[in-house]
Amino acid sequence: MLKFIGAVLIIGAAALIGFIQAAHYARRPKQIRLLISALQRMETEIIYALTPLPEAFALLGKQLAEPLASLFRLTSERLLKSHGAPLREIWQQTVQEVWKRSSMKQAEQEVVLQLGSVLGLTDRGDQVKHLRLAVSQLQAEEAESRDEQRRYEKMWKSLGVLIGALVVILMY
Amino acid sequence: MEYRRLDNLEAYQLMLDSIMNLLPHSLRFILAHLPEDVQASIEEIRLRESRPLEISYQDRYAFLDESGQIVQHESQAYKPTGKDFQYVLEQLTNHSLYTYEEELRRGYITIPGGHRVGLAGRTLLDQGQVKQIRDVSSFNIRVARDLLGVGKTIVPYLYDPAARSVHHTLVISPPQQGKTTLVRDLARLVSRGEWGTAAAGALAGRKVGVVDERSELAACVKGVPRFDLGPRTDIMDGCPKAEGMMMMIRSLSPEVLVVDEIGRPEDARAIHEALHAGIRVIATAHGADYEDARQRPVLKELLNEGVFARYVILDRRKGKAAPFRVLDRQGRQLEPQR
Repeated sequence: MLKFIGAVLIIGAAALIGFIQAAHYARRPKQIRLLISALQRMETEIIYALTPLPEAFALLGKQLAEPLASLFRLTSERLLKSHGAPLREIWQQTVQEVWKRSSMKQAEQEVVLQLGSVLGLTDRGDQVKHLRLAVSQLQAEEAESRDEQRRYEKMWKSLGVLIGALVVILMY
Repeated sequence: MEYRRLDNLEAYQLMLDSIMNLLPHSLRFILAHLPEDVQASIEEIRLRESRPLEISYQDRYAFLDESGQIVQHESQAYKPTGKDFQYVLEQLTNHSLYTYEEELRRGYITIPGGHRVGLAGRTLLDQGQVKQIRDVSSFNIRVARDLLGVGKTIVPYLYDPAARSVHHTLVISPPQQGKTTLVRDLARLVSRGEWGTAAAGALAGRKVGVVDERSELAACVKGVPRFDLGPRTDIMDGCPKAEGMMMMIRSLSPEVLVVDEIGRPEDARAIHEALHAGIRVIATAHGADYEDARQRPVLKELLNEGVFARYVILDRRKGKAAPFRVLDRQGRQLEPQR
């Protein structure tokens, strides 16, 4: 009886791990897409509305879904009470925190950090170029992540259950 | 009176705060450790990248070392680093340089408190016109002082009993002599109706229109003036002078127009327009004295036409008996009056 309960727990746990992995693959393209739309909104704020970055970030923080909302909200809050820390540093810190909670990977993080090192430091034309560059790099990442989703999402779902089953069989 | 002074002191502390907020810790420390009398009379803080930190105060200048001591020789002075500069620029533009393109083209940024930060560096050109200053390597932080009542001694000269308003007035002075401070106070006094002379009786204040092209007079932040310009004053902030004067004349029915630093042909046209509309003008111009102003192309015409009925010449250099002189339409000095 005890063995049976153990077996159920093992299969359950293994399936859960598989589903979590699968969910990451499913969420990554969505979050990248959200990030792209956030950067596009930022472009509008910069070119047409001339909104200063702390305000633009606060605005985006309200409009977007998590986890990106907290990226912008935190950055904005920290900028306002930073007493002069450069934007680049605050951005870097916040990005690294938020990335831990998101399904996005190193490649996207690099793009966003790169963007953070120029945000707000140049004129409008230049800012737009940097934002567009980041968007196009993210679009490439998005395509790749969709590809991975197609390949690995189902695999992880079944793999989790199957590995659990294998362990149980070996146990008996 | 005591109350007023206290008020001033507090306001002064607030003004300094907005400058301190711009500066990195190293520079803040230096300025905070200056002797009190120097601190209270700072006129300019000049930062030049990798070159000595300089302040000017009480008509003098000095270099400062990293502990806030005044040193006369430049080699001992603190030299602001590239990092300091990055910091100041980022604070100055609220981390968003792109919102200050117009200011960077003109070469200065006005900050809350009315202080003006002049910039120098490498300029970017677009079809022969300066498009922007890039690689900023010099900051000149000009401390704005709002001295309530500096105009009190001058207002009686400017009162025109016939029109029950002020004369057309031109304030002439070299830079850094308090021109802007004076016209700001004049605007306030006229707006409030403090004529300072018995002849005016209980004459109320006049509607004043201020065209503040460089945001120096009123130091507006988002359109709201940081300096007290009186209860009956409208301010056109960041607006080209000539255009702003025309807009004021058309829509705001001012009785007195106040503008800073006239000198372009279109300014003269706008002043003529104001004359015909029966509006009194108080303006300022750069120049050493009356004769000097007469040499300048646009001013020459205005002066020869006898447009202005009063000239106020500021000169507070040491060794001068009076800090100002008031001349009439023909350039004759007016005697002090009761």
